[in-house]
Amino acid sequence: MITGAWICLLSPLAAAGLITLAGERISRRTAGYVATISCFVAFGGALASFIGLLGRGGEERDVVSTAWTWLSGGSYRSGFEILVDPLSVMMMLIVSGVGGLIVAYSLGYMDGDDEERRYFAYMSLFVFSMLLLVQGGNLLLLLAGWGMVGLSSYLLIGHWHERPSAIAAAKKAFVMNAIGDATMALAFFLLIKEAGSLEFGILGGEYGSTTANLVALGLLGGAVAKSAQLPLQTWLPDAMEGPTPVSALIHAATMVTAGVYLIVRTHPIFEQAPAIADLAAGLGAGTLLLAGLIALVQVDIKRVIAYSTMSQIGYMFLGAGLGAYANGMFHLMTHAFFKALLFMAAGIVIHALAAEQDIRKMGGLRQLMPRTYQAFLVGSLALVGIFPFAGFFSKDSILAAAMDHGAYGYVLWVAGLAGTFLTGLYTFRLLFVVFWGEPSAFVREHFHAIKRDVVGVSMGATVGVLTVLSIIGGWIQFAPWWHPIETWLETVAEPLVSPEGWQEGVSIALSLVLGLGGIYIAWLAYGTRRVAVPRQLALQRMLERKFYFDELYDALFYRPTVWAAKKLYRWVEEPIISGTMRELGEETRDVGGLVARLQTGLLRTYALAIASSVAVLAIVFIAVK
Amino acid sequence: MIVATVGNVLVWTIWMVAAFACLGSAVAVVTFWNPFYSALALIGNLGSLAVLYLLLSSEFVAAAQVLVYAGAVMVMFLFVIAYIGPRSDSPWAGGPGWQAVGAVLAAAALLVEIIVAIGLKAGDRLADSADIREGFGGPAQIGRLFLTDHLLAFEVTSIVLLVAAIGGVILGAHSRRAADEVPPL
Amino acid sequence: MNGPSIAWYLAVAAFLFGTGSLGVLLRRNPLIVLLSLEIMLNGANLALIAFARHLGDASGQIFALAVMAVAASEVVVGLGLIVALNRKRVPLDVDRLSSLRG
Repeated sequence: MITGAWICLLSPLAAAGLITLAGERISRRTAGYVATISCFVAFGGALASFIGLLGRGGEERDVVSTAWTWLSGGSYRSGFEILVDPLSVMMMLIVSGVGGLIVAYSLGYMDGDDEERRYFAYMSLFVFSMLLLVQGGNLLLLLAGWGMVGLSSYLLIGHWHERPSAIAAAKKAFVMNAIGDATMALAFFLLIKEAGSLEFGILGGEYGSTTANLVALGLLGGAVAKSAQLPLQTWLPDAMEGPTPVSALIHAATMVTAGVYLIVRTHPIFEQAPAIADLAAGLGAGTLLLAGLIALVQVDIKRVIAYSTMSQIGYMFLGAGLGAYANGMFHLMTHAFFKALLFMAAGIVIHALAAEQDIRKMGGLRQLMPRTYQAFLVGSLALVGIFPFAGFFSKDSILAAAMDHGAYGYVLWVAGLAGTFLTGLYTFRLLFVVFWGEPSAFVREHFHAIKRDVVGVSMGATVGVLTVLSIIGGWIQFAPWWHPIETWLETVAEPLVSPEGWQEGVSIALSLVLGLGGIYIAWLAYGTRRVAVPRQLALQRMLERKFYFDELYDALFYRPTVWAAKKLYRWVEEPIISGTMRELGEETRDVGGLVARLQTGLLRTYALAIASSVAVLAIVFIAVK
Repeated sequence: MIVATVGNVLVWTIWMVAAFACLGSAVAVVTFWNPFYSALALIGNLGSLAVLYLLLSSEFVAAAQVLVYAGAVMVMFLFVIAYIGPRSDSPWAGGPGWQAVGAVLAAAALLVEIIVAIGLKAGDRLADSADIREGFGGPAQIGRLFLTDHLLAFEVTSIVLLVAAIGGVILGAHSRRAADEVPPL
Repeated sequence: MNGPSIAWYLAVAAFLFGTGSLGVLLRRNPLIVLLSLEIMLNGANLALIAFARHLGDASGQIFALAVMAVAASEVVVGLGLIVALNRKRVPLDVDRLSSLRG
């Protein structure tokens, strides 16, 4: 079991190293195979750990395996250790499983790309980093994995580095993640000061309320940055500049969910800082509304799905903030299935339309790509949470949990329900616009079907697997009646809320009704075009500009910094620093010039020097002796 | 007694003549414009020095001085000066002005220092010279010293002379390279 | 001994040394410089001989003979240089030989 966990962690790293070292000696497709096989090997290792853990009961399901002492200074000690417990095994399975499927999909999607090998090396690196994050046996390794997934994200968003927009997006993602890294590091410093170590066990210790609040706030900062929640959410839509499988893996299924994982993993601290936990839930609720609204006006197929991701993670934050940890993690799992499915189906559409992503140019693809349409339909239904698809089971439990949290919880509950309506609306707006109606002129001109070669099979098969999972994946847990996931995660994170049966029922009913309502409105407006879409210019402008967040940050942070930098350059660097250097050089040269005047080149001068020196020395000798 | 006094006066007289000849010819060497005349003055200087050596009971060194120095070295000088041909000498001192002043000062300082040093340190002991034997400064004693106490100096000196001879031959030999291969100074 | 004491001879030697050094420092013809150098060496020789007589030790005379031999060698090399310079049509002026000028 431990071996399985180590294999799971190290297999993608080995693949990344192999692909990097092999360079151009292997073909591009071979690099893809290496990456894919390593991911599936990792999945096998995760399965082995899972089975091993099943064999143990209760308290024994917390195994730490240390490879060596990594850092040791004074009284502080950190080992290179991995943790195998129910929560980490769950994440391992999701990351390696969905990751493996997506890497297999990339075999087809990235076929023919010039830098395919670099892509697969970075994908393997990312999978390794994410596994390090979830398997890390102490907070320091978690932070290491945290930083590395940020790095891999930057590398992969900027994969097509000749595009300036891609580079800018990569930088934006990295900088905003770095803000989160900084707050997390500060939280860790506090923890070291208070507890002297960064093992997971210390999180349960007793802390003063200020410390607990500060630590939780720092952790929340990191989670918010990584998961693209309010207020650090602006990087996620821009990250769609990367290839579609990257968006699927990193910005849907795994990296952005790391924030949720962090909150669940460090829940003891959040339980000691209930204000921050409420803040987390509130941010989640705010984000899910904001993202839902913005998604209504997006015209890029990937951006719609990106905002939908932002919104769904808002749900997960809502659940985790309220203490419904198992529900949050369950939603994470199902979301991985259907969101990756949606991205991958969108990728097939993009491929078929020669890299076009504007939905206004699409239409009527239902007849031309029936199976893709079905996959997309399944994904959309799962996303909206329609029975019996996956999202139904997970999302509604979160809403029910909100009912058990007092008045504030009810506010969040209402927000969540509104979000469900919006989800139905924007998701099916996308589906109807892209797939229904008559094929548009653009489609008629540019469409070419995917062939049945390795490319087609890899893309088709993986999408198929995820479709099946989106259908049946939710049946693992149906909250009031059977809840293996909650039981599974009980030893790690006991839920703080337990809604009554009637609360579950009400939530399920209302969310179903609202979701179907959203679908109906979308059908009216976009499916059959019976009702004109209302045009409210000011509102539309605000939504299109994403509530002016980018402009706000630009004015608040970017402009003052640039102004200060320019002033510093002019008043400090140029005259003082460069000037000093320059003057030092010039003065040295002048002194050298003065000294050079002694070198007259005349023999007699040198003889004079000798004679004078002898005279002086004679005086010295006489005086001393 | 009278012989001793006469001897003293004689020695003093010879000493005065030789010393002034020495100093005068030294000044002449340094001040003449024509190098030929300077070389001749130096011969005079060497001669008077030989006389002074005789007065100091160093017969062998005096003889060597006249034979080697005045006889060989100065003849070589005169050969080279004649070979180079008549040359109107350059003015006294060119170069930076501070150089002339500095030179005079340095030379004067050295002179004063030597006198002061010797005067301070050994002034009272210079009056009485040691008594010497009969053969002091004679060839026999010099020869014996060269071959016993100072054998190493003897041998090393001979090597130095050999090296100088080789060097002189090399420097004076016609270069085998073409004249235009040598970059002008 | 008869005649002046050693101090007088040492004074003459000092004057010779000073005069020679003046010539070395102030003249521009390399031949004259070499001649002045000879004067300095002779001044040193005189001092050596004087002390040999004063202390009754003939080692001073041995030293003076060695100095004479070395002076001869040095004159050989110096004159060879001057002859070579003359052959290359270089002006015989130590102030013009200033390639070392920094």
